[in-house]
Amino acid sequence: MSLSRRTFLKLAGLVAAGVTVGACAPVYRQLAGVPPVWRPWPDVDPALFTALNRLTFGPRPEELARAAEIGLAGWIEEQLAPETLADDGTDLQLRRFPTLTRAAHELHAWSDKLFDDQDRATVPAELRQATLLRQVYSRRQLYEVVVAFWSDHFNISVDKGDCFYLKTVDDRAVIRPHALGRFGDLLWASAHSPAMLVYLDQHVSDRGHPNENYAREVLELHTLGVDGGYSQRDVMELARCLTGWTVKEHWWRGEFTFDPGRHADGVKEVLGMTLQPAGQSEAESVLTALAGHPSTARFITRKLALRFLGADAPAALAERAARAFQQTDGDLRAVLRVLLLDGVAAMTAAAGPGLPPKFKRPVDFVASALRQLNAATDAGAPVLEYLGRLGQLPFGWPTPDGYPDRTEAWLGNLLPRWQFALALVDGALKGTSLDLEALWAAADSATVAGRADRLSALLMGAPLPAALRDDVLRAAGDDAGRVLAAGLVASAAFQWR
Amino acid sequence: MIATSRRQFLHSAAPLTGALAWPAWLPRLAFAPAQAAPRGDTLLVVFLRGAADVLNMVVPHGEAAYYAARPTLGLPRPDDTRAASGKRVLDLDGFFGLHPALGGLLPAWQAGHLAIVHACGAPDESRSHFRAMELMERGVADERGPASGWIGRHLASVATPSDRPNPLRAIGFGPVAPRSLTGAVPATALRSITDFHLGGDKLAAARLQAALGALYGGADPLSVVGAETLALLQTVEQLDPEHYTPRPEARYPAGEFGLALRQTALLIKAEVGLEVAAVDLGGWDTHFAQGGSDGLMAGLLRDLADGLAAFHADLVDYLGRVTVVVMSEFGRRLSENASLGTDHGHGSALFLLGGNVVGGRVHGRWPGLAAEQLVGPGDLAVTTDYRDVLAEVCARRLNNAAFDQIFPDYAVRLPGFLK
Repeated sequence: MSLSRRTFLKLAGLVAAGVTVGACAPVYRQLAGVPPVWRPWPDVDPALFTALNRLTFGPRPEELARAAEIGLAGWIEEQLAPETLADDGTDLQLRRFPTLTRAAHELHAWSDKLFDDQDRATVPAELRQATLLRQVYSRRQLYEVVVAFWSDHFNISVDKGDCFYLKTVDDRAVIRPHALGRFGDLLWASAHSPAMLVYLDQHVSDRGHPNENYAREVLELHTLGVDGGYSQRDVMELARCLTGWTVKEHWWRGEFTFDPGRHADGVKEVLGMTLQPAGQSEAESVLTALAGHPSTARFITRKLALRFLGADAPAALAERAARAFQQTDGDLRAVLRVLLLDGVAAMTAAAGPGLPPKFKRPVDFVASALRQLNAATDAGAPVLEYLGRLGQLPFGWPTPDGYPDRTEAWLGNLLPRWQFALALVDGALKGTSLDLEALWAAADSATVAGRADRLSALLMGAPLPAALRDDVLRAAGDDAGRVLAAGLVASAAFQWR
Repeated sequence: MIATSRRQFLHSAAPLTGALAWPAWLPRLAFAPAQAAPRGDTLLVVFLRGAADVLNMVVPHGEAAYYAARPTLGLPRPDDTRAASGKRVLDLDGFFGLHPALGGLLPAWQAGHLAIVHACGAPDESRSHFRAMELMERGVADERGPASGWIGRHLASVATPSDRPNPLRAIGFGPVAPRSLTGAVPATALRSITDFHLGGDKLAAARLQAALGALYGGADPLSVVGAETLALLQTVEQLDPEHYTPRPEARYPAGEFGLALRQTALLIKAEVGLEVAAVDLGGWDTHFAQGGSDGLMAGLLRDLADGLAAFHADLVDYLGRVTVVVMSEFGRRLSENASLGTDHGHGSALFLLGGNVVGGRVHGRWPGLAAEQLVGPGDLAVTTDYRDVLAEVCARRLNNAAFDQIFPDYAVRLPGFLK
């Protein structure tokens, strides 16, 4: 459903004017294009389901229908051009978060409560809520998946110093604009991002004793990888190049600035390059070299392959993606085309070898449950609290390696997933609701077993084995709808994507 | 379902061990299954994440080079009367002393229950947190070797005394199980054992639980974890952790670390078969504003020392079968940096706490802090490989000398720090 510009502006005005979200929520949701009721969903093609499950935060029926209509390759191309996909509904929902669009110094001033110390909670809470809303509602699903990848890669914890408000700027000015652009631009923007400089102590580095924290991580985690061919000496020399890169503290607080008085003198040598004294541009020359380094191409594409294809991604494919990275000067769309068209699409095709399943990380689990059960949610505190207990509160990972992408790291913490499934189905999460009866009706089958099979296919791409389904229905007693919905979301099968 | 399991527990009631008084809060724990008795000690591993600055924890106050390199961060000597007594190093042996915020550990030290291995660490010199932590938790020297953790391999190489996996055999406190616990035996990760129930109304929870029994009926690793989680739900219900009262001398600090130690103590006393608990304590990456006798790091140290002191006091009757290891991925640079912090270094230190450590001593060959004695960009050298200490813990305290499995491709030398 598309909104006329006029309706959009009118609604945006309403929201901006401070009309409580609760009061206008139903009309707001309707106009925002979020289907308020279920319609019978189409039959699911398991191969297409597997592919979209990897490329979205859990496929909705209308996305499966669109991919069936134009083909998986066409759907991927469409998603790789997110600017062509209207997303007014999501934009409208985000209007209620004033902090998303403000400059750093405004956010700082806004957080400073004169007599009440500092409000360090509101700005990150809005960013988290907006992030989850985008993941649940945006039509630009692949874009949001890639944004989440870069948010991990260039991890920043809002719990470190001024990052509590600077991360909002980093998300808006670094991660989102460059997520599908050139890697070099993304790296450049991240290196100049005040949030990153504060997060990795660069802002307090000084010519006397250069702080190595950012210099090391930019080599180890952001570009070359730990085996990418740099030495402790390279770290120390790059740290010297970076001295003086800092963040304004008074006027235009929270903006990047270069302080020549703190910059280390003399010639530096990084990765075999001799850098004549040139202030800020010394480290910038290194960034340019890093963006074009073959180790960077390999490290980044391997990590993207891990995210989209899993730990056993074919080596030849990752190499081809690395070549695409180098040939296109780090064009991330070109890299993703290799990994998604020759990888995900080819592997899930009828003649393909299949795509090994990946364990859903907590955000994948929560977002997919909300999306695939068509929940109406404000992605507010109760849902975010669950993400915390599950271990993946957005922007909450303390160390710069980002949330782990390994199955073993997440396997041991099932109970909160089960608790979330039950709370979601029970309507126990304030701000989130589920129309279980409509869901049941939309399953459009005469028998309980038939509805159970349809619901399994909606959530997992295929019905449960009949004997298992009967066991679950027996356990459910006279409460089939509730226990089945919670049980399927909590089930072993739904934990994989 | 729950009623049945209670009856099963009754049938397998174990005889009480030893002459320990049975605390009032443990009425139902006599139902703990007999086959769940721990094998060897219960091991608690505390990992200080972020590379703790051990030179400011176990201070070589007899080294002039220490004070020369740390004009701001150096801690005053025990006899430095220019500093207030509460800010000076607490002398241990005339050469080393504890950070004043670690004062809570002195009773354990004096009782001979605390040993320190200084200049201990791993051969890896990447100075990368992630690589060093990964290698250390895997118990390997470099990329090669098994991907599982050393504790996971220890558990996998000890025969399980029962055919049913015990969900309380290995616990990692925190959102995710630490890498060291990964391996053939799935480990349970939890924040607090009191959160361990499904929620919702009783009938719906019971029905969901029954449905989950079917939905996690497979033999794949996730289903095994699911089945263990379902079993754990029943065990914890029997345990009633909210009514646990530690010994009065044991004052656990508030916060997740204190809670994890307190619950570990409960599980040890309850004899539910806990073999390993792993607890993380983060925040040690003090590049910036580390502080000296007071400040950022002192707060972390106080939490660490008070937690361990409470654990020691709480388990005073159990120390003969408890061993605690405190470790960190590497140490920090000898010289302080311009932001009043310290950068990544090399040699670290390892703490051993328990009734069977060779305590009251700082072990290990001290390599010295003079310029020619340092390694890399100016870091403490490593003279004891951490795997030698852990191997001794496994061999002497956990009754498992399968070093070829726990630390493959490494020639273990037992240093004699444990009895």
